[in-house]
Amino acid sequence: MSARPLLIAIAILFALVVIVMPVAVIFARAFAEGFGVWLAAVSEPETRSAIMLTIVTALIVVPINIVFGLCAAWAIARFRFPGRRVLLVLIELPFAISPIVAGLCFLLVYGAYGPVGGALQPYGIQLMFNLAGIVLVSLFVTCPFVVREVLPVLSVAGEDEERAALTLGASGWQMFRFVTFPNITWPLVYGAILATARAIGEFGAVSVVSGAIRGQTMTLPLQIELLYNDYNTTGAFAAATVLAFLALITLVLRGLIALVHPVRGAAT
Amino acid sequence: MSLEIDRVSKSFDGKSAVLGDVSLSVEDGEFLALLGPSGSGKTTLLNIISGLTAPDRGKLVLNDEDITSVPAARRRFGMVFQSYALFRHMSVADNIGFGLRVMDRAERPSKADRKARVEELLAMIDMAGLGDRYPAQLSGGQRQRVAMARALAISPRLLLLDEPFSALDALVRRDLRRSVRDLQQRVGVTAILVTHDQAEAFEVADRVAVMRDGAIEQIGTPDELRARPATPFVESFLGLGPTAPDWTI
Repeated sequence: MSARPLLIAIAILFALVVIVMPVAVIFARAFAEGFGVWLAAVSEPETRSAIMLTIVTALIVVPINIVFGLCAAWAIARFRFPGRRVLLVLIELPFAISPIVAGLCFLLVYGAYGPVGGALQPYGIQLMFNLAGIVLVSLFVTCPFVVREVLPVLSVAGEDEERAALTLGASGWQMFRFVTFPNITWPLVYGAILATARAIGEFGAVSVVSGAIRGQTMTLPLQIELLYNDYNTTGAFAAATVLAFLALITLVLRGLIALVHPVRGAAT
Repeated sequence: MSLEIDRVSKSFDGKSAVLGDVSLSVEDGEFLALLGPSGSGKTTLLNIISGLTAPDRGKLVLNDEDITSVPAARRRFGMVFQSYALFRHMSVADNIGFGLRVMDRAERPSKADRKARVEELLAMIDMAGLGDRYPAQLSGGQRQRVAMARALAISPRLLLLDEPFSALDALVRRDLRRSVRDLQQRVGVTAILVTHDQAEAFEVADRVAVMRDGAIEQIGTPDELRARPATPFVESFLGLGPTAPDWTI
């Protein structure tokens, strides 16, 4: 007997139970009492402010990540320097560390009693329990995404092409703009999407440094937990649909990229 | 353009020299081949001439201009790479026109002029009408010719060829050797070819510099080298020894 139907059945059943059902339930519960109730729940001032904070955080974190990711990937792919291997491992570190531990580390270093936070205190600069803290830990947890996507492509996209551009009179910028960048556009966008999804959804690290000030330092995932613990199930599920919706957008974008990703030029 | 290479040295690890005090002069309009086994320093010397590698010591003089510290992008030397290094995401026409497109605004030809120049070069390499193709859609020989046209598009002061035939099969290689020599003569550009293949060097070049261990062992016309190999290494590398096979070309 062929294993084919069995394998397909297992895969579909698993996806249904573990992935589709929970997401479907979120939407079902959120809209159970009608669209009006849902709308009222997500327009609660606290929830609205959480949505805004989450979006602002992502808008700050992702561009910084793109710039850092490009610089790091370029340096690692093109230059041999002392500490190169260490840098490579360090960039992956956020994947290995539990987010909550990362949050604690930031609190210890940048908090009022930490070495950096303590030094900044006299100048009235506070880095924890506000937007700055949330951005810092979000940068930490999303750090690997862009580098990981761009680096492998940059490593195989020949250095020879860049050298050819130079001999043809291109400036460093022109070389990057016309020769390097077109080869890494899609991996870059893909990495940025993954980083966005993570920045929006991060809970553990952010919960440590946010300070949980209602209406001020609550991101959407924190707000959802808060509402749920307050027995405000409708509010929690409504806020969860917003988060799930943002995640679905990134999923759709991923799919679109897979569709349009240019395949020409496998060999030159 | 004539090129004077004056006591150029290079070491990558600070200890063993890849090039040791190499001096060489290339005359205007000449086709010179740097011939040697791998590890003889010929590619390093070519990279130093192109400006992609900086020498530790020594001087490069083009006509009367000291170009030692001029960056590669400012030398206007056309280079054909062993891998061709075509821009894979650009059409053939955009590849050839790249050097004209990145010129400073003051020197850059108009879009129409650039297009005309690209068409002219496409015709010169017998690829008229193929400007819309992408590198991945070309044969090895076509890619090599596009790389050649791209290097010639900037009206280079020197043409540098790094093993340009090594990735081709024997039949195509013979054809292309002739056409490269032919193009060089037509354009009248001074050319330097790096190769490990003595038949190739002898067929294409006016003069051949035989390199070994980072130094030039002997330099001369193919006839001179055949008639009077200066050292046993040259004699055996060129296959001229008593036990050597027939070297008819």
